[in-house]
Amino acid sequence: MNLSTNSVTVRFGAVAALQNVNVKVASGERRAVIGPNGAGKTTLFDVITGQRRPTSGKVLIDDADVTGFTVWRRARLGLARTFQRSTLFANLTVAENLAIAIRSRLKVGSRIWPGRLEREVGAEVSSRLEMARLPALRHRLAWRLGHGERRIVEIELALARDPRLLLLDEPMAGLSGAEREAAVTRLRALPEAVTVILVEHDLDVVFAIAQRVSVLDHGVLIADGTPAEIRANRRVQEVYLGGAD
Amino acid sequence: MSRLRQLRPRRWLGQAAFLVFLLSVPAWAPNRFWINVASQALIFAIFAMSLDLLIGYAGMPSFGHAAFYAAGAYGGALWALHLSSALLPLLAVGLMAGASLALVGALALRARGIYFLMLTLAFAQVVWSVLSNNQLANVLGGDIGLISVPRPVLPFAADVSLFRPANFYFLTLTVAIIVYLALAAVVASPFGHTLEGIRENEGRMESLGYPTFRYRLAAFIIAGALAGLAGMLGGSFNFSATPATAFWTTSGLAMIAVIMGGSRSLVGPAAGAIVVVLLQLGLSSLPARGLAERWQLLLGVVFIAFVLFLPGGLYGLLRRRAA
Amino acid sequence: MLAAGLSVIFGLMDVLNLAHGSFYMLGAYVGLTVLGVSGNFWLALIAAPVALGVIGALIEVVFFRRIYREGHLMQVLLTFGFTLVFVDLIRWRFGPQTHSLPTPPGLEGAVHILGVSFASYKLFVILFASVVALGLLLAWRRSRVGAILRAGVADREMLGLLGIDLKRVFTGTFAFGAALAGLAGVVVGPYLGVYPGMDESILVLVLVVVVVGGLGSIEGAILGSLLIGLANAIGPLVLGGFEAASIFAVMAIVLLVRPQGLLGRRQ
Repeated sequence: MNLSTNSVTVRFGAVAALQNVNVKVASGERRAVIGPNGAGKTTLFDVITGQRRPTSGKVLIDDADVTGFTVWRRARLGLARTFQRSTLFANLTVAENLAIAIRSRLKVGSRIWPGRLEREVGAEVSSRLEMARLPALRHRLAWRLGHGERRIVEIELALARDPRLLLLDEPMAGLSGAEREAAVTRLRALPEAVTVILVEHDLDVVFAIAQRVSVLDHGVLIADGTPAEIRANRRVQEVYLGGAD
Repeated sequence: MSRLRQLRPRRWLGQAAFLVFLLSVPAWAPNRFWINVASQALIFAIFAMSLDLLIGYAGMPSFGHAAFYAAGAYGGALWALHLSSALLPLLAVGLMAGASLALVGALALRARGIYFLMLTLAFAQVVWSVLSNNQLANVLGGDIGLISVPRPVLPFAADVSLFRPANFYFLTLTVAIIVYLALAAVVASPFGHTLEGIRENEGRMESLGYPTFRYRLAAFIIAGALAGLAGMLGGSFNFSATPATAFWTTSGLAMIAVIMGGSRSLVGPAAGAIVVVLLQLGLSSLPARGLAERWQLLLGVVFIAFVLFLPGGLYGLLRRRAA
Repeated sequence: MLAAGLSVIFGLMDVLNLAHGSFYMLGAYVGLTVLGVSGNFWLALIAAPVALGVIGALIEVVFFRRIYREGHLMQVLLTFGFTLVFVDLIRWRFGPQTHSLPTPPGLEGAVHILGVSFASYKLFVILFASVVALGLLLAWRRSRVGAILRAGVADREMLGLLGIDLKRVFTGTFAFGAALAGLAGVVVGPYLGVYPGMDESILVLVLVVVVVGGLGSIEGAILGSLLIGLANAIGPLVLGGFEAASIFAVMAIVLLVRPQGLLGRRQ
């Protein structure tokens, strides 16, 4: 699934959170979006998923204009995202959280008599918990999870939709070294056809996963290229890499 | 999980015992007055359970639920007065009346949380003022309402008179049990889980591909329809449909029942409803008349105490004990 | 006036106060009592808001402080509990009948303006309400307290950061809202009568005004009152006696176009 934004601008009053941003992500590509805090990375995600309407500009998915589509319609096209701040269903168990995502994909979320399909949902919940090495947390309420566990369930929730385009908003924030490694392995194991866009501060993670990197600063796209190009880019070094080191 | 399994047989036993208790009310109730109180308690329990679907499961705190109750009462009364008093069509009319009005009230779904609460409240008040408007008196009876509403007639057993308190009680009991089972099935179904997801985090549900508005609308209509059903029963119980049923204090009493009993449990709100009706009617049967007139005061104080000290309601207390 | 009180309480504290109508009713009864003892309307006009301010402060300190963390629904329900208690207490003490507050001396007659006669008390009410509204508006816009409240409506945490004692601001706001409601109760007493149930009849009207005008904005409350008053006056001419329908129509239109109310802030 490919994605492009066509001179997207978002204004909050007088402030421009995004200015004429043009990003093209090819099908199956692993793309990272980096930039200092407040550069507009999350706003860009919000525009792509439909959580925020751009002031001007267009969003294209598989070359079709989806700018006017609601969030859930885009999700049904195969878009999934994780959120910077955990947005699990706090008063439901981990299994119930996953089941909700799986039901959405199998289109059984509206049924009152689910029949056989609900058993399929249950089986898939088990296998996904297994894959994520979380079976012990099955019946834990989401608000009781530790921070790292929550981030992992967060990613699993997005994966449970079998997305074709996956947006990850700082998935590694606050994870320990071992948790990080496990998450990177999990993401690398995704089918190649899945397009991934990743916002991340940890540059090791970025360079381990991404094939191309886009750099945002103050709402403006200042660079776009392979990791090597980005590392060599003077401007990027000034605003971002220099600041981070 | 293992704890849940251990609880289950006890739960079944409790439910069976409660059913026997409900079935035997007419046998040991001291007189017809108390059988009627029991009928009213059950009608109010249906109403409170339908509200729990919105408050407890879908997270939509409606403060205008009385409007749908009144819709059922008026719809049923009009039907019974002008067309027929056969039971099954009447039940359907109650459901339809509540559901149709919910479709109109869906305007409130644009808002969430406290704003939703205010909109539903305002909506119900408008319904109330239309019902009590004397210019419509030839249709809706103005501020007096519709009176001399006949009781329904049972199919296949027309000679079993529902004018007899015990028979009417068994009718309400049957409907209440069916509504409970239906709602229990709904909240345990994928649809019910979807509603809970929306309650917990609507934005997240949308990004998972759920058209949340449709679900909220569906919940609103189901709850409205069941409230209408309760209203239809209430109308035939009282032989009348009055504007007061749509007034916001009726919605408030239902909300009190839901919270005192413990929301997101169905049984809790039903129990809460029974307590509210017992307070309201039970006190009036006591010899001390001064106390009887103060039922609102008493209910208010009890309720304030609940909000302050036991926000989880009776059911929440039980759940905590079990855990 | 009522709407302003409710709107500010809501905006600042995020509490929807269903007992606001009760405060209005209590105000009317305090007025009635004071008038019965002293025979002086103006004294009653002062006593009611003072008494209600004290009651409001007490309720906030004793009850509300405990449950700010429990969320909106519980707060609303708490206020609902109070409406039940208050209306019954009033009925207990004063009986269910309608009392009438005598029109204050000097305002019994009618005034003729351009050949149309107006009851002079009604004119007084309009004038009085306008003065209060204007005073509120000025205080809201210009004074230090107004600035604190506006800041609090916009961002509650900021107030805390600025070293302002939130608890006292909350108590004060609640008391002030109650006092305004009490004042309104006395003022309307002479022509609407004083009875248990007056709380319920006014509350929804006020709610609609607040929803239409936008929450947490005094200007919105005043604008909303005018608009709803207008709908109330014109509606029956157009729709034939369906005041409520016209009010609802206004509310529906406003909400469809601007869900946050005319002058409300965005959620």
